[in-house]
Amino acid sequence: MDAVKMNDFLIPFMDISVPAGFPSPAADYMEDRINLNNFLIRHPEATFVVRCTGTSMINAFIPPSCLLVIDRSLKAGNGDIVLAHINGEFTVKYLQVNEHKCRLIPANRKYREIEVTDGSELNIWGVVIHIISNPKDFRHVCFG
Amino acid sequence: MFALVDCNNFYCSCERVFDPSLNNRPVVVLSNNDGCVIARSDEAKALGIVMGTPEYMVRDLIREHHVAVFSSNYTLYGDMSDRVMKILASFVPRLELYSIDEAFLDLSDLAYADLLQLGLRIKRAVTLQTGIPVSVGIAPTKTLAKMANRYIKKHDKNLGVHWVAGDRLVSEMLAATEVGDIWGVGHEYAAMLGRAGFRTAGELAAAPADWMRQHMTVVGERLWNELNGRPSISWDFEPRKKKNICTSRSFARHTQDKTILAEALSNHAASCALKMRNEKSCARFLNIFINTNPFRAADQQFSHSIDIEMQTATNNAPEIIRYCLKGLDLIYRPGLNYMKCGVTVGGFVPEGSVQAALFDESNRPRDKKIMETMDKLNQSLGREIVRFAVQGFEKRYRLKTAYISRKFTTDISQVIHVKN
Repeated sequence: MDAVKMNDFLIPFMDISVPAGFPSPAADYMEDRINLNNFLIRHPEATFVVRCTGTSMINAFIPPSCLLVIDRSLKAGNGDIVLAHINGEFTVKYLQVNEHKCRLIPANRKYREIEVTDGSELNIWGVVIHIISNPKDFRHVCFG
Repeated sequence: MFALVDCNNFYCSCERVFDPSLNNRPVVVLSNNDGCVIARSDEAKALGIVMGTPEYMVRDLIREHHVAVFSSNYTLYGDMSDRVMKILASFVPRLELYSIDEAFLDLSDLAYADLLQLGLRIKRAVTLQTGIPVSVGIAPTKTLAKMANRYIKKHDKNLGVHWVAGDRLVSEMLAATEVGDIWGVGHEYAAMLGRAGFRTAGELAAAPADWMRQHMTVVGERLWNELNGRPSISWDFEPRKKKNICTSRSFARHTQDKTILAEALSNHAASCALKMRNEKSCARFLNIFINTNPFRAADQQFSHSIDIEMQTATNNAPEIIRYCLKGLDLIYRPGLNYMKCGVTVGGFVPEGSVQAALFDESNRPRDKKIMETMDKLNQSLGREIVRFAVQGFEKRYRLKTAYISRKFTTDISQVIHVKN
């Protein structure tokens, strides 16, 4: 195990032959190709992926089947979509917190809000930072 | 100044991250092949489950107290360890990985007046980001840092950070630590020191340096210096190279069949060869052993092993398998109930500096290519998809992992599933 291993250091490589005297006009403009990891993950050590199925967050654009990117290092605040563990189960909901109460709120009227009482064991596992889905998986879903 | 950061009940804590309903419940993790208890949560310790106990001996306790049992999931623990270590590395210029769940941090060049605050920050960062609880011991030497870690776990686990700042705190800690609990003091030295009248680390630190040197050689002198706050153990950044690699396993049922032994040894040989290829080293020697079950008193007992020197150092699977099968021919005796067999390889040389024997007949570049292709296929298609016919197809020799959790962090098809 190598704790201080650096991220793969990619060097752009152009697999074309260059006739002497006529360098490719693009050679000076090469850049790294877009790397989705860099875009999706800000804190690699604190980032986890979970699979989410079900319709309780459909109006928050979380389709019935998708992957969610979770960042544990962010402090969950009012209005964040969080991965919570409550009363023995994982669930993804809007977090509503103020000085009076704490609730987990679905984005679908067919589901009930979860009131967090003194007796419930709530563990905010992390904050949902990205939703990854394939449009084909929810073509029959009507948001609204 | 050194810090020793240690993950609390690491394997159990990993399991808890991905199933928080295990919090406050007793949890144990079993060794390879579900043999013995190798990790216990605090609740399991409180039940009196002892480290290293065979699983069947605590089965009643497990049932009675609803202890959650897990097979060891090294893929998961390895990734979680990697995350923890990278977070630790972000705090300090130098870090030494001591084990899968422990690291020494060099705090000497840091501009912190209050190292307790730094310790707390480290602890909070690791727990927040990974969910793994850790303890931090901070002291002038590695031995004292290790002791400080142990001390705080015992006295204030919730705080979890102990900075042994100043002589008063050092002597307090030394007085509270028994000689046998000092890092680096094994059973034999502990017994010897006990006979000589030393009870605590404090008494040992006050012993004359000459006495230590006389009775414990340079080890004792170094220990004495460390206990007295003078760093004497150097940094060790290079991951230790293994001296040998061993793969062995018991059969689920004893067997007399030579072909089954051959199949098992071939699997062990292939697994040794793979480990060597991953480390880019080749072995010069190998040893195979077979033995009967010593707990079946009625059986005729037999145990035999043979050392084989290979003509040319290699990590080529078919070649090592061939040597193993030759060895089996030499030591196998029919009509006995065999229970276990294994392969050990050693005498490592780096892949690049292998000298071929004078009359070496194999085509090494070709063999290397075959192995590389095989490894690549197995990496992309799944473990052991491509293997040698002699290894067989039954899962008789695969690890028994009846209670294994999922690979939550390394396999997208095994991540946490939220039913929403």
